[in-house]
Amino acid sequence: MRIEISGLTKTYRGGVAAIDGLDLAVPTGMFGLLGANGAGKTTLMRILAGIVRPTSGRVTVGEHDLGTGAGRTAVQRDLGYLPQDLGVYPDLTARQFLDYVALLKGMDDRTVRRRRVGELLEVVALTEHADRRLRGFSGGMRQRVGIAQALLADPQLLIVDEPTAGLDPEERIRFRTLLSQFAGRRTVLLSTHIVDDIGQTCREVAVLAKGRLIFRGTVEELTRRAQGQVWSVVTDGPAPTEGTVVSALPHDDGMRYRIVAPSAPSPGALPLEPGLEDGYLAVATGRGNASRQPASPPGRRP
Amino acid sequence: MTTFVASLRYEFRMQVRKRTVWIVPALTLVLFVLIGGSLLRDLFDPGERPVDPRTAVVGLAVQLHALLSIGFGCLLADRLIRDDRLRVASILDATPASPRARLLGKYVGAGAATAIPVAVAYFGFAAAYAVDTGEPRALGWALAAFGAVFVPGLLFVAAFALAAPLVMPAPLFRVLFVGYWLWGNVVSPDMMPTLARTLVHPLGGYPLAALFDFHGIDGQEAWAGPIPGATLNALRPDPTPALAWLSIALLLIIAAAVLAGGHALRARRVR
Ligand SMILES: Nc1ncnc2c1ncn2[C@@H]1O[C@H](COP(=O)(O)OP(=O)(O)OP(=O)(O)O)[C@@H](O)[C@H]1O
Ligand SMILES: [Mg+2]
Repeated sequence: MRIEISGLTKTYRGGVAAIDGLDLAVPTGMFGLLGANGAGKTTLMRILAGIVRPTSGRVTVGEHDLGTGAGRTAVQRDLGYLPQDLGVYPDLTARQFLDYVALLKGMDDRTVRRRRVGELLEVVALTEHADRRLRGFSGGMRQRVGIAQALLADPQLLIVDEPTAGLDPEERIRFRTLLSQFAGRRTVLLSTHIVDDIGQTCREVAVLAKGRLIFRGTVEELTRRAQGQVWSVVTDGPAPTEGTVVSALPHDDGMRYRIVAPSAPSPGALPLEPGLEDGYLAVATGRGNASRQPASPPGRRP
Repeated sequence: MTTFVASLRYEFRMQVRKRTVWIVPALTLVLFVLIGGSLLRDLFDPGERPVDPRTAVVGLAVQLHALLSIGFGCLLADRLIRDDRLRVASILDATPASPRARLLGKYVGAGAATAIPVAVAYFGFAAAYAVDTGEPRALGWALAAFGAVFVPGLLFVAAFALAAPLVMPAPLFRVLFVGYWLWGNVVSPDMMPTLARTLVHPLGGYPLAALFDFHGIDGQEAWAGPIPGATLNALRPDPTPALAWLSIALLLIIAAAVLAGGHALRARRVR
């Protein structure tokens, strides 16, 4: 399912423009969404899930127009949504909660529903806790219940908003793999702050800032934005003030810094190969190599 | 239809398992019996109880309705806002299920679960009375009184209890509701404007007077109709059976309107 977004704006009461004139096409497959806190990722996903109505603009998912009630319902029939701010009913068991959501998704056949709920409990490794009240679940276990409910109806469009928050490393990697495998000919929109997760699963990615699109391209393209901008600096003095510090490691001669900056941040700086996170930082701080992207100042185009 | 049934079933299940749903009415009854002076005791005292089983059972309905509806309203006050508070709403709102059907299922399901202890108490006392007096007819009257007096009144209260916390904190609603209930049912309408004895009296004055010919345990009280010197007398015509049915219909219509208003308010707020 292809998503087409044009001229999308969402202004919350109080005047915050969370999405500000967004144009974006999301193809089939896994698609990553990056951006700082407050960039508008959750707002965009809630609009796509039919929960929030945009202030203006047009969104189509497949052939359905989200601007109409019928279109929204049609999209929701084929949608799995894992909200960032996930809650469950503490007085239900995991199995009951999933059964309830499955019913609301229109899975009327009892046998089919039971089997599907059982399968998904297995997928998220909660079978042995299936009949315990959710009240006693840890944060990561609740998150896994959230993942299971999103997959219930075998959706063509899966929207997951920071799905790996709170998962232990093993579960995180398991879920990441599960998402990739699930994607296939479906559309999966993944928002996360763990840039590495996007690098491991998505071919294409968009970066939002203040409700606007500042990057849209492949993961490799995003990495290249930091080409020639990543430096290693070893110093026992204060950190260089130029650029963005990506990491700081204790070193025999003081500290070793990894820095993203347009030019060498200090005389002894050594150039490094960029990674995806460097590319993201370069774009997010507005210093990325200009290449056909709207956010870069026109004067720096090659 | 599926959505309505699913929501009803799960809302019922969640509410009926809540311990407070059982504790609150039980404590209310115990306190009331301890304070004394109630029909609950007189019913089993041959010297004190009304001679007519209908008066006894309908009087019991009035007393338990007035008493247990307080807890009933308070126990339902968190049901609608809790979906947002527990952050489950996003998941539910992203399903294709009609939000209207979900709300209706919640209303009926949670309402029924909260009404079960009330019904258990009422039919329990009525059955004990029927056995004690050897009057099986008492059970028939109890069933009729439950349908015509309890059910519309509880549906009316439940609609407000679900919707009002959208515009005020639930604890404030509880305080205002308890205050109103006591004020509306204890203070005489010629001292302060209240809904008592009007067509929209949630205690069911018109059905009591016109359908059950009930005029208090002692037969001396008026449950519906004008009160000299009181405001809102336009809503207090002289009771007739037709007006009793109208009164029931009005309570249900108001409940539906309040629920629809709550639904619209929540839908607007989410956007
Ligand atoms: N319900 C709301 N009412 C008013 N403003 C809101 C609401 N939800 C979000 N906002 C504002 O909209 C902007 C975008 O928020 P959003 O939650 O979409 O960002 P995000 O990219 O998901 O951030 P994060 O990475 O922290 O999850 C923020 O400025 C936020 O304060
Ligand atoms: Mg977010």
